[in-house]
Amino acid sequence: MSWIESNSIPRRTALQIGGLGMFGLTLPRFLKAADQPNAKPGRAKSVIFLYQFGGPSHLDTFDPKPNAPDGVRSHYGVIDTSAPGIQICDQLPKTSLVMNDVTLVRTVHHTMKNHNPASYYALTGHAPPLDDIRLRDSQELFPAYGSVVDRLAPATNGMPTFVAFPHVLRDGEITPGQHASFLGKAHDPLLVTADPNDRRFSLPELSLPANLTAERLQDRREIQKLVNRQAKQLDQSAAARGLDAYYERTLGMLNTSKVRDAFNLEAESATTRDKYGRTTYGQSCLLARRLIESGVKFVNVYFANNIGGRVKDGGWDTHGFDNSRMYPLLSDYHLPMTEQTLPTLINDLKERGLFDDTLIVWMGEFGRTPRINDNVSRDHWPQCYTALLAGGGVKRGFVYGTSDKQGAYPDKDPVQLDDLIATVFDLMGIDPQTEVHDKLNRPLPISGGRVVTAVRA
Amino acid sequence: MSVLSKSGCNLGTCHGNARGKGGFQISLRGQDPDADYIALTKDFFGRRINSSNPDQSLILLKPTMQLAHEGGKRFAIDSPEYRILREWIARETPNDSTGYRHLAELQVTPAEVYLSARLGEATSGQPSEWQLQIRATAKFTDGSSRDVTSLAVYEIANPIADVSHDGAVVGRSSGETTVLVRYLNRQVPVRIAFLTTRPDFVWSGPTPANFVDEQVFAKLKKLEINPSPVCDDATFVRRVTLDLLGLPPTADDARRFVQDASPDKRRVLIDSLLERPEFSDWWALKWADLLRIEEKTLDQKGVENFHSWLRNAFANHKPLDQLVKEIVAGRGSTYEVPPANFYRALRSPYERSEAVGQLFLGVRLQCSKCHNHPFDQWTQDDYYSWGSVFARVDYKIVENHRRDTNDKHEFDGEQIVFLNESGEAKDPRTKQTRPAKFLGEPNALDRTRDPLDGLAEWLADSRNDRFVQVMANRIWQQVVGRGIVDPVDDFRVTNPASNPSLLKAVADELAGTPRSEQASLDPAIVATSPATAAGTSSREEGAFDLRHLLRVILNSKTYQLASEPNATNRDDEANFSHALIRRYTAEQLLDATSQVLEIPLEFSGFPKGRRAAQLPGVAANRFRKSPLTDADRFLSLFGKPPRLQSCDCERSDETTLSQTFQLVGSGVINRLLTTSGNRLEKLLASGQPVGDIVTELYWASLTRPPTEEELGVTTQFLAKAANLRAALEDVMWSMINSNEFLLRR
Repeated sequence: MSWIESNSIPRRTALQIGGLGMFGLTLPRFLKAADQPNAKPGRAKSVIFLYQFGGPSHLDTFDPKPNAPDGVRSHYGVIDTSAPGIQICDQLPKTSLVMNDVTLVRTVHHTMKNHNPASYYALTGHAPPLDDIRLRDSQELFPAYGSVVDRLAPATNGMPTFVAFPHVLRDGEITPGQHASFLGKAHDPLLVTADPNDRRFSLPELSLPANLTAERLQDRREIQKLVNRQAKQLDQSAAARGLDAYYERTLGMLNTSKVRDAFNLEAESATTRDKYGRTTYGQSCLLARRLIESGVKFVNVYFANNIGGRVKDGGWDTHGFDNSRMYPLLSDYHLPMTEQTLPTLINDLKERGLFDDTLIVWMGEFGRTPRINDNVSRDHWPQCYTALLAGGGVKRGFVYGTSDKQGAYPDKDPVQLDDLIATVFDLMGIDPQTEVHDKLNRPLPISGGRVVTAVRA
Repeated sequence: MSVLSKSGCNLGTCHGNARGKGGFQISLRGQDPDADYIALTKDFFGRRINSSNPDQSLILLKPTMQLAHEGGKRFAIDSPEYRILREWIARETPNDSTGYRHLAELQVTPAEVYLSARLGEATSGQPSEWQLQIRATAKFTDGSSRDVTSLAVYEIANPIADVSHDGAVVGRSSGETTVLVRYLNRQVPVRIAFLTTRPDFVWSGPTPANFVDEQVFAKLKKLEINPSPVCDDATFVRRVTLDLLGLPPTADDARRFVQDASPDKRRVLIDSLLERPEFSDWWALKWADLLRIEEKTLDQKGVENFHSWLRNAFANHKPLDQLVKEIVAGRGSTYEVPPANFYRALRSPYERSEAVGQLFLGVRLQCSKCHNHPFDQWTQDDYYSWGSVFARVDYKIVENHRRDTNDKHEFDGEQIVFLNESGEAKDPRTKQTRPAKFLGEPNALDRTRDPLDGLAEWLADSRNDRFVQVMANRIWQQVVGRGIVDPVDDFRVTNPASNPSLLKAVADELAGTPRSEQASLDPAIVATSPATAAGTSSREEGAFDLRHLLRVILNSKTYQLASEPNATNRDDEANFSHALIRRYTAEQLLDATSQVLEIPLEFSGFPKGRRAAQLPGVAANRFRKSPLTDADRFLSLFGKPPRLQSCDCERSDETTLSQTFQLVGSGVINRLLTTSGNRLEKLLASGQPVGDIVTELYWASLTRPPTEEELGVTTQFLAKAANLRAALEDVMWSMINSNEFLLRR
């Protein structure tokens, strides 16, 4: 195994990553890294991370236990799927038809019982320092996956590397793990909080205020260059050249249509838009496909901006609080939404020839209690739950890991969140042990997990 | 053990990792020999060692690649490494850490070396002069010593040279670097400068104004680097005003200064800026960043109290040692004793000890929480003993009206910070609270004394060299843009000062220690400083005076150098041979734009007209009370920190795409440009000729008149415009978005 995959990261970058500090440079292995003959490029050129905020019940979706006792067993039945031997919840018939395209990891586990720390763990692959219900977002915490990718293997085609939408996740406080943190603002996602289901949806950054025209921008840029020319030496400084590159990119994005087109959902046929569902989440999944198609490398799509679970809105946190009940909500809202989006996205990617290069990750911060509570609902359960992987580089029609009879604990092949994320990086061709440096210049591996090699296609 | 270090086995990427590697885990960089002894000889059923047949020990088979080893081949069978390990195994692995000699000292030569090579002649390969052999000698507790050159490990900080296995250094490009020499648990840095002799080098630096220049120029002469010339008046007045007040000079002030013919006008300007009220705002802002002054933990009243206390301290010339004493010993009601908010923000003993260490002693102790610091002297024992100093700090929560009952970080209401009878700061290794010790001190604190008062006395003392150096270095960095030790909170042997005697000199100046042999060359400067004017160095009469040290630095030629590099100093970043270019902060950019356009800013929860630099806290934390304004959003977009860490590094001056989108498109800048009644509108209404308007805007925004070319192009552009107001907005936009406006130079 190579230390840095030579095909994915140029050696110069690798050296910079490895540290201007004092680490590692005497290690012959490190210096030889780029020459490793057996380095394989990643299979997933891009990732669509469908984050199911709130925590979906694994027992009522992808890990049903039809033989579990009353009080544990789902109120739903099971159905066979297109993958022989794999059964899922019978409320997901369309999804059952794409199960021959996916890998289910049924033994994801950790110990964080609160939404923000568990979500931070799921969004970064690093355990939070404590399971604090309002874990504070600070630059001591780890960056989002997309920011790491932007740091280590950025898009070079004029598109942003990392785009996140259509919400900012919040559970009381902003959920940590949604930005670049110590990697620096330059690696933050392009965050879009406008609603893709809105008739007038467009990227706010790409829309000029009413008083400005493209001609005026051009005039401004010309005079700006004139002013910059007067201080010639300053203009040639690294800082000034850096700034100028950003102006060039900004104006380029305003003047050319590539980025704007990628965000233009109007370009999709009404049929396609209807297939994904005329919902914020549905159109977000479609937008994710458009962005991947135009060269974005990492897309975070957030199911909802809050943990939800009480009404037909928001996330998957179905405790049955306030006299709400989990099963009607799942039947009327969460599961139909999933039915309309997940298989649609998989099929759409396949039809467009993007599926082999695009990794879909569908998961929440935890699963839900095997035991159905007094509200006929389920509570938080990080000890064992299911993540779904599909496309770029993973096996198809495959289950990794077996949970016990009640879906309570991993029985065979447990997978820590760290391992799952190490696997995602590995599938992208980024060695999970690659180090980045925090604000104190401490070298930290991007993942502490072990790659689950068994899921590789 | 040194063999394993030498072979890189115990690095963080290999078996020194917190989880080990391949089931074999030893301590990072060999800091815990006892645990390593067990790992080697006992773990894994002792299979790593085979004393009866040493060659079959895993510890020899793996690194020689006789058995597959993910880390590759580390040494050969015929190597000294193999021989030493084999011999140790054959002797049935004696544990030499008990009852055997210990390493007392590691001596390394040379400590510092300048290697000069003539460039231009040797065109192929490295110049022969850029070569050096490092020698390492170990002195043991039993008095014996031994040459360990071939056993020591060599690591280079800035990879401009190659270091061999045996300490031979060959430079590849000019510059400065540090080679860290490590043997067992000791490490010693060797500073090396690879120079290119320039046969035609002639020193052309300006005449030193004071000891700062003498120290800086002495180093530059050694490096054969010429400083850039002193900058022109327009550049100076812009730089010093923004550095001291966070604002550019007004058009009138700038013109007056540039036209002033008096020879000491820079000194006079510095003196007047230091007494301006905006100076106190600006310094309070810098400290508020470091002291975590934010609303969620301190609440709004706490933030306002603590901030205004800080601002008053700067306005009233409170000596810095006094300021720090009051902060680290502060307790009482957070509403009545503003500095008590310092500990209110730091809710656990180790948060407090890490913050005090980082802020006032320049040490980043976080590494030594989990393992002995790999690049510094600090051990885990030091870490937990220092944490114990703060164990008894406790809170009496008088009231808490937090909105989110699930949020343990949110406090809204009065608290009393007090020292409890006892308190726990458990060392997780022993589950015991270690005896409290000040960092680096051998003796435990007297239990009968108040630890925080003791801390204040010990810490903020002119005899505490580290404290004085850290404070002086912070002040230096705040105006020069880079610390003499950089980063400013990372003092350690392996990150030495770029100019140690400069650091000592500015520290002595701050502490009021006399510099007998370094009398200032410019009596005018000395005469204006209260400390020296009083002719004494005693603490009471002007030591730890922020303005005094600033005055010394700002009057130096070093501070006043131009940013434009010359052929000899182009690559120099660390030796202050030219002014550093950096992007202005969020507050500077926004306040400057508001001043130029004469439209006051609006921030959530504050009356109109508050400047960004005057905000006591962090706007994003007030979002529940009133909506954020475009000005609030600008600040967070351009890097105003959330104040959750005790580190300058939390403030960002990076450029991002979102920032340029904000500057180009909608946002506060566009609003200020288009607001009715702004300076553009007033100038147009005044009926002045267009050329005069342009000239006025240049002075206001860029602190200089337009060049002939600029004046010609812009007046022509305006003359042709169908909409004069819109065209003037375009011209103004271009100035606000120019390098000269955005970048310090």
